[in-house]
Amino acid sequence: MAGLQIRNVEKVYGNKFKAVHGISLDVKDGEFMVLVGPSGCAKSTLLRMIAGLETITAGEISIGERVVNNLVPGKRGIAMVFQNYALYPHMKVFKNLSFGMRLQRRPRAEIESGIGHVSRLLEIEELLDRLPKQLSGGQAQRVAVGRAIIKKPEVFLFDEPLSNLDAKLRAAMRVRLTSLHKQLKQEGLSSTVVYVTHDQVEAMTMGDRICVMKDGRIMQVADPVTLYDRPENTFVAGFIGTPEMNLFSARLHKGASGASLEIGKQRMALDPSVMARLTLGDAGEVTAGIRPQHIAPAAAGASNTLEGRVSHVEFMGHEIYLHVVIADNAFIVVTQSAGFDRAKASEGAMHFTVAQDALHLFDPVSGKNISLGS
Amino acid sequence: MGGDSKFLGLLYISPYVIGLLVFTAIPFVYSFYLSFTDYPLMTAPVWVGLDNYLELFTSDRTFRKSLSVTLVYVFTTVPLKLVFALFIAVILNYRLKMINFFRTAYYVPSILGGSVAVAVLWRYIFAKAGVVNMALGFFGMDPINWFGDPNYALFIITLLRVWQFGSAMIIFLAALQSVDKSLYESAAIDGANKWQTFRSITLPLITPVIFFNLIMQTVQAFQEFNGPYIITNGTGSPLKSTYLLPLYIYDEAFKKFDMGYASAIAWVMFFIIMVLTLVAFWSSRRWVYYAGDKRS
Amino acid sequence: MTTTALSAIALETERTNRMTRRLQRISAAVRYLILAGVGLVMLYPLIWLIGASFKTNAEIFADPGFIPKEPTLNGYINGWKTSTPYTFATFFWNTFLIILPKTVGTAISATAVAYGFARFEFPFKKLFFATVIAILLLPNVVTRIPQYLLFRDLGWLDSFLPLWVPSALAGDAFFVFMLIQFLRAIPRDMEEAARVDGANTLQVLIFIVVPLLAPAIVSVCLFQIMWTMNDFLGPLIYISSVDKYPISLALKLSIDTTEAFDWNRILAMSVLALAPSLIIFFLAQKQFIEGISSGGVKG
Repeated sequence: MAGLQIRNVEKVYGNKFKAVHGISLDVKDGEFMVLVGPSGCAKSTLLRMIAGLETITAGEISIGERVVNNLVPGKRGIAMVFQNYALYPHMKVFKNLSFGMRLQRRPRAEIESGIGHVSRLLEIEELLDRLPKQLSGGQAQRVAVGRAIIKKPEVFLFDEPLSNLDAKLRAAMRVRLTSLHKQLKQEGLSSTVVYVTHDQVEAMTMGDRICVMKDGRIMQVADPVTLYDRPENTFVAGFIGTPEMNLFSARLHKGASGASLEIGKQRMALDPSVMARLTLGDAGEVTAGIRPQHIAPAAAGASNTLEGRVSHVEFMGHEIYLHVVIADNAFIVVTQSAGFDRAKASEGAMHFTVAQDALHLFDPVSGKNISLGS
Repeated sequence: MGGDSKFLGLLYISPYVIGLLVFTAIPFVYSFYLSFTDYPLMTAPVWVGLDNYLELFTSDRTFRKSLSVTLVYVFTTVPLKLVFALFIAVILNYRLKMINFFRTAYYVPSILGGSVAVAVLWRYIFAKAGVVNMALGFFGMDPINWFGDPNYALFIITLLRVWQFGSAMIIFLAALQSVDKSLYESAAIDGANKWQTFRSITLPLITPVIFFNLIMQTVQAFQEFNGPYIITNGTGSPLKSTYLLPLYIYDEAFKKFDMGYASAIAWVMFFIIMVLTLVAFWSSRRWVYYAGDKRS
Repeated sequence: MTTTALSAIALETERTNRMTRRLQRISAAVRYLILAGVGLVMLYPLIWLIGASFKTNAEIFADPGFIPKEPTLNGYINGWKTSTPYTFATFFWNTFLIILPKTVGTAISATAVAYGFARFEFPFKKLFFATVIAILLLPNVVTRIPQYLLFRDLGWLDSFLPLWVPSALAGDAFFVFMLIQFLRAIPRDMEEAARVDGANTLQVLIFIVVPLLAPAIVSVCLFQIMWTMNDFLGPLIYISSVDKYPISLALKLSIDTTEAFDWNRILAMSVLALAPSLIIFFLAQKQFIEGISSGGVKG
């Protein structure tokens, strides 16, 4: 049972390219931590450094209080599930599962009971006598997970394990992996997980906490709800949530009669509650952000609305995505399809109400959220 | 990887490094030194400066003959072999049913071609009363004294080499088969005929392989020894018309034991090969197509 | 559109289709004709050799066909005895004694070296790799004389050591290069998984890399066997006692000392000399073809 500590870790390739910039991250014992970010954000590099597949240029990684920087992968107490599963193609499933134990010369009885347990857990008993090439994608995936579990590692590492599966199977495996995690936890086994993905849906649905990365730096570490409701910067705000949060430049005014936000030639009065949340800055340029779900067509006669022109309507079934131009900024507005009047939308101009408790204001230079309160 | 010594890789290549030093690098340098000495094997090498080279280029008529024979041999054999190999590979590249059979059949001579037995066979086939002359007689032609006539003898050695076109052909064929079929379809839609497609799609795409074959075949051709040595009993007859440089070097080194002089000939030959290789590499930028850097 | 116009178009289409099919058939026929013709010319010398080795001496230069009219085994009976005090069995055995250490040594050293180059970073790696390419292009002629002097000083002359030791130290750059190319095409995941499973680099090499690389290693062994069998200059320089002659050298000696008109005997000896290569090739042709297609250039 162990957590994982990453302290000021850096990775530099060939004296030149700095891939990881002094990252620190604590993963608690039993926690399911997801590393997420766009490609090239060094999430996989970080995972491979934890595994020992990449050297650590600077900093320290410890697993359960033990610094592992200079240990070979096999001595770190980790297990890893690879993107392509990396099953040994010349060994049958049974041998694939037992390879690590056989290297350690564990007694035969222990190997067999271990395989029995794991294959029941993952329902791969039928497959033990097959070669990897005789497995379907989902089966190979389960064997790869089994190979990790059988080692009883302190930390599980997953490198985009679901990206090679089709959408349906991926959804099923998501649920399976999360419930497996719970089960291991209940059995009192070590179940610390570091899981790399580029898919924010996977991140949001599976992670206890999520570490959002960009260009070798951590943007925010938080649980899914916090990440969604209280993004610390424009990157996280834009990265988490579908469709993306609408981000637009605006000007903040403070006056005797209250504060307002100027968007192009339009002006929207701000609730005092928004002003109370502001931690920084006076009047001036800001980047404002509002999720498509928090801006809606205004009811007839409503005040303090924004006027926009609908350029395109996407019917998604239960919902409708409106592509709207408000003061030269492109917005997406998500609204219920029931009762929506398409004819009215096609006429062009419409009014929209912003849910101000969900409005975010960011520093236009640093991108930091200045509306999170204190 | 984390935890591994950075010298681990050196450990794995250590056999190579030892072999490289002992059997290649040091001999390479030493042979350059020897080429400036007189070394009759029984006594120690004596430094003679440029004497060996001066003799080679001013008074040694055998060397001049041998060098010109070698150049003629290389510059006829390599193009003939490559064109032939490419021609057959192109024909084989169509979806023919017996492609595997032909591929194997054509490869047999490459496997056996360097052997003594095949050189012996060549002597029989091109003998005065041999199969080839019998075939010529069938068409009403006079028999040719293949090995007696300086005009033909070298050509027979060339034929022996061209006959072994199989390995070059297989490399070409593999390259042809890796060309993306959709490019041909696209060219067909653009209205290209077969020859135009070959000229402007196939040929440019396989230039890396042509380049590879060209270099390898040239280096090999310069070192041809077995064929001419066995066919002519090491004499390079008639009139030294098949006396390739490797035969000359062998005679100087291991018959006359004139190691210094033999080294000088070897270095002249090496120099020629090196210049040709460098020219090929230099010119390759103009005619060899490289599809990005696939290695990461 | 009228019915007549329609059927005219249909007719036209039918005609073009027929033309295309006929052209395709003609072009396929031409191709087979060329291939078969070339194939016959290519293989006829070998076919003739085998046939003629069963002919009587009188018949060999009298008839261009390959089927002997009065088949005889005399050539083989005399040929096996050779014109030396030893039979062909001795020479086969000598060749085997060279091939065995050379092939095993090549397989082990070339695999280890290729693994080192393809999977590790170490000081001067680029320099060493450049030497692999350089040796690939370096004519042996340049190093042959000093190598001879070296082996003389080591007291290795007239032994098999000069013929196999350099190869056992990964001296055949072609094989090292071929295996590196193969290895580069194999994803590293499996090896990394094995490291995570607790294997050290040597265990990874033995349990993961060698099985994955097995087809390529087999190709390397086959090529090494063939080339060693054909090697003539090496034994010519280093082996001086007849009882140590490998096949190639023995064949040359036997021919030189056989009376000039004993043709079927010489041809029979040639067939005997070629037999092992031919047998190995036909048993393992797939590996040869794949070895040369993918090792030489890909990657």
